[in-house]
Amino acid sequence: MDERRPLIIIDESKCVGCVACSKACPTSAVRVRDDVVHINRELCIDCGACVGACKRDALRPRTSSSADLERFKLRVAIPSVVLYGQFGDEIKPSQILHAFRSLGFDAARDISWVCEMVAAAVDSYLTDCGGPWPKISMTCPAVVRLIQLKYPDLIPHIIPIDTPRELAAKLHRRRLAAEHGIHPSEIGLFYISPCTALVDAIANPVGRQASHLDGAFSIAEVYGPLLRSIKVDPPPHANDDVSIRGLRWVMASGEIPGMRNANSINVKGLDDVVCVLDRIEGGTFNGADFINPFICSDGCFSGHLTVAGRFTAQRYLNQVVRQLGDPPPVKEEKIRTLLQSRFFDLDAAIQPGKTQPAQDLRQAVARQQRKKEICQRLPGKNCGACGAPDCDTLAGDMVAGQAEIGDCPFVRIEQLLHQLKTSDG
Amino acid sequence: MDRDVLYRETFRIKGDAFEHGGEVATHIKTLLKQFGLAPDIVRRLSIANFEAEMNVVMYAREAELELLVYPDVVRVVVTDRGPGIADIAWAMQEGHSTATAEMRARGFGAGLGLPNIQRNTDELTVESTVNVGTTLRYAVLTAKPPEAGQ
Repeated sequence: MDERRPLIIIDESKCVGCVACSKACPTSAVRVRDDVVHINRELCIDCGACVGACKRDALRPRTSSSADLERFKLRVAIPSVVLYGQFGDEIKPSQILHAFRSLGFDAARDISWVCEMVAAAVDSYLTDCGGPWPKISMTCPAVVRLIQLKYPDLIPHIIPIDTPRELAAKLHRRRLAAEHGIHPSEIGLFYISPCTALVDAIANPVGRQASHLDGAFSIAEVYGPLLRSIKVDPPPHANDDVSIRGLRWVMASGEIPGMRNANSINVKGLDDVVCVLDRIEGGTFNGADFINPFICSDGCFSGHLTVAGRFTAQRYLNQVVRQLGDPPPVKEEKIRTLLQSRFFDLDAAIQPGKTQPAQDLRQAVARQQRKKEICQRLPGKNCGACGAPDCDTLAGDMVAGQAEIGDCPFVRIEQLLHQLKTSDG
Repeated sequence: MDRDVLYRETFRIKGDAFEHGGEVATHIKTLLKQFGLAPDIVRRLSIANFEAEMNVVMYAREAELELLVYPDVVRVVVTDRGPGIADIAWAMQEGHSTATAEMRARGFGAGLGLPNIQRNTDELTVESTVNVGTTLRYAVLTAKPPEAGQ
């Protein structure tokens, strides 16, 4: 986890040294010192809250470039289904997928069928698996990183079934290579992502040695060109081959529809996710057998790299679902065969985040005491002006030797006034 | 014995404060994790603290929960001012509860509180005076005792 390349690119010419990013970070990974943003990669869960909070556009995730596209003979976009809800209820998935042709892609492939397959595989897993309960889905990579970092004991709760984006890429690479008679490595598969976490999940996948995808663009980056293309270049045949069950699974809020194991809940938004994980870790959770958690407040629809508002996007997608009708579901035998052939399996263990070196209880308690004492000397205003998001975090930094009490402007003023008084007297 | 206390903190719990129910247990869990205690120790204490905290929220007016961390044991003392428990032996049995219908509707009052604390701790004593209050003392050993013969 510590070897990851920086995900967030900081444009220092735009950064004014305000502390919006630092205060937005759920894991206190961001510091602003001397008007420069520092992100501690070990603590970063890729959620993109800092990107969303920056009003100066100084932070952006490291997405792919057109040069990355050039490296491949066949270039294919695999958009998150969230993209289907970005353009309005008149625009069908087939139109959106077709429009990628004018953006330097040779084709775009749908992911909703794989979403349906994963939902069925998860359902089947829940029927057969043993404890520990509840099981947790690994769809949202920011939640997986949060578990690795803060709740490593809950790693055995994560369902080891790969995500729709990875499985879709694996499937489409195989099919495209056969269709075009080219080597699989000549195909570039690019995810069209609603959030920063999914961008990093391709560069630094969890539970995989390497991603099946070759890179990612954000929905915001491709939105303008797609919109123009949709208007001038309609597809010759409107063939909307999407899985309604797959889309419903993605859109679900509350209990997940269509699952045999109905005792399941979607948990959306950082605060609620933390609350539920705390309860599970503390042994006092007994709400459901399966948790599908998302770090964003409306799941992927509220990703920071989307364009349409989250409510609008869901309404549009609902409308599209209603217009498309219901194709027959993926056959259960097919899912069973794929499960037997280990199609859904991860190929690497999910590791706990970098833990602090094991320390003696006496030392750990002493550090905590020291932190408490420092906190009493700080004003408790949590203004963030020192560069840490709040007084408690500054105290922790001081115990770790990474900050000093004079970093706090209130304490500094007191110190200066005191000096002034003593030099006068 | 008090010279051995590495850490001591007292938390206040208010009766009927359902909106804050479980916060003290969660806070202590974070603290114990920072102390580097083993996950199962943290979980057992967390369950016991949660049950004790919810007992106060549901039945008592107020209480102090004192956390004491020793080199080889974590002790918790919960002293409440409330109705007290008339028959402790009865309350220690699973399924025995004086919870009202309203509490049960909220998912509490299954009569598992004290038995659950007992199951998750290495020591538990309950002292109670009716119409005055109840004091719970429980402890979880954090270091394995040396094996017999060694």
